[in-house]
Amino acid sequence: MLTRRLSIATPIFLIIYVIQEAVISQFRLPGGGFSILVIFTLTWAVLSETEVAAVVGFAAGFLMDLSQTAAGPFGQWTLIMLLAGYAISYVGYGDDHVQGNAIGIIFFVVIANLLVEIAYVASGALLGVSSGSLIQILITLFGMSIWALLISPILLPIFSRLHAIIFDSRLSL
Amino acid sequence: MRNGGRARLLLVILIVTSLFLITLDLRGVKVIDGFKQGGQTVMSPFQRAGSAVLSPVKNFFSDVTHLGRTRNQIEKLQAENANLKSKLINRKNADAQLKQLKGILDLAGTAGYKIVNAKVISHGSSQSFSQTIVIDSGSNAGIKKNMTVLSQYGIAGVVKDVYPTSALILLASDPSFRIGARIAGTQQIGILTGRGTRSASLQLLDNSTTVKEGDVLLSRGSIANRPFVPGVPLGYVTSADNSAGAVAQTATIRYYTNFSTLGVVAVVVSGSASNPGDALVPVKPRVTPIPTVTVFVTPSPTPTK
Repeated sequence: MLTRRLSIATPIFLIIYVIQEAVISQFRLPGGGFSILVIFTLTWAVLSETEVAAVVGFAAGFLMDLSQTAAGPFGQWTLIMLLAGYAISYVGYGDDHVQGNAIGIIFFVVIANLLVEIAYVASGALLGVSSGSLIQILITLFGMSIWALLISPILLPIFSRLHAIIFDSRLSL
Repeated sequence: MRNGGRARLLLVILIVTSLFLITLDLRGVKVIDGFKQGGQTVMSPFQRAGSAVLSPVKNFFSDVTHLGRTRNQIEKLQAENANLKSKLINRKNADAQLKQLKGILDLAGTAGYKIVNAKVISHGSSQSFSQTIVIDSGSNAGIKKNMTVLSQYGIAGVVKDVYPTSALILLASDPSFRIGARIAGTQQIGILTGRGTRSASLQLLDNSTTVKEGDVLLSRGSIANRPFVPGVPLGYVTSADNSAGAVAQTATIRYYTNFSTLGVVAVVVSGSASNPGDALVPVKPRVTPIPTVTVFVTPSPTPTK
């Protein structure tokens, strides 16, 4: 059952990845912009069980590592997104206060997006990837969080509906 | 409980796989490069298509407003108008790219560089805290890793990765970008480092002479002209720290290139036979004097009413 659902979800992830690389990347957005793949994966994770969340996090991270613009070593995004997916699902899944309302999910996604970026900078520093000055990092983190806050409410209904269709879930925000 | 155990086991397996991938990449295993190359080869046509389709939209975003009129004639005129506007914007876009290309050819021609021109098809996401672009020419056009990339004003970056029909360029504004620089005239040498913005920091290697505002920086060049050819304009000094107690002089530099407007770039596939020296130092704009108009008035003998 899990394999069937994940195989249905795979093309959706690939489409989101193509949108990110071919469309979103065309715009040099102020404040660092946003990653639709990260927002999608985190939203998907909060709506899914821990097992599914870990697998989709791993898959999304793997795709992000495939991107030619990934600065760190291959596997860095995979590890971070895997842990983020698992953690967000572990905390959020099954909690009606989070899953039952859209604001709860948006809050979770925005915070998780910020933590993912901080984890990326911190692990990048350990692996020898330069990320710029502290001020520059802080500005980018702030900008990305604002973008996530603006974009998540627009995309959440679409993402939750897709999730509901694939997982036969009644939850559709 | 059984489910929880299974989830934890899956998590451990995936974590080990991720760490395995990181280790393989850090050890330089070719399989990982193959993954990335394959991914880029697949993505390249999508990026080209995205760039072609979104080129007018990028500029059109703020201009287009949809009016809810129903009359056929108005709709037709609006469509025609939008089409003309789009054509005009495309034309403006083409003109801007032509101007950039002309600048690059002038620069490369003066120095005697052999170049390959390329269009920017994607700007790297800042999500990875790196400053990169993707161009639409790759190894099929003779581009190799570690070649200098020029804009119309000077340095744009360096080729980081090459694929058959595209290449990833690390912009000079990236924090990991380093280039050997020399000051035009005094020939003082130092190392220029990107800061993530259009400004960069320069650290001079000796304290014998002082650096001052307005000094122009050029690239020093590398062995066999890779990664950097000599004589490429980098930027100019905006502020200098010449404090007496400092071990080495430092300065803040502003790049000539505006990295957010890059549309066309050129990759230097072969440098000139001789060092161009200071030949590429940009000419300072001259102020054209405005002639003063002098009016002679002769008073009339009788006052006018």
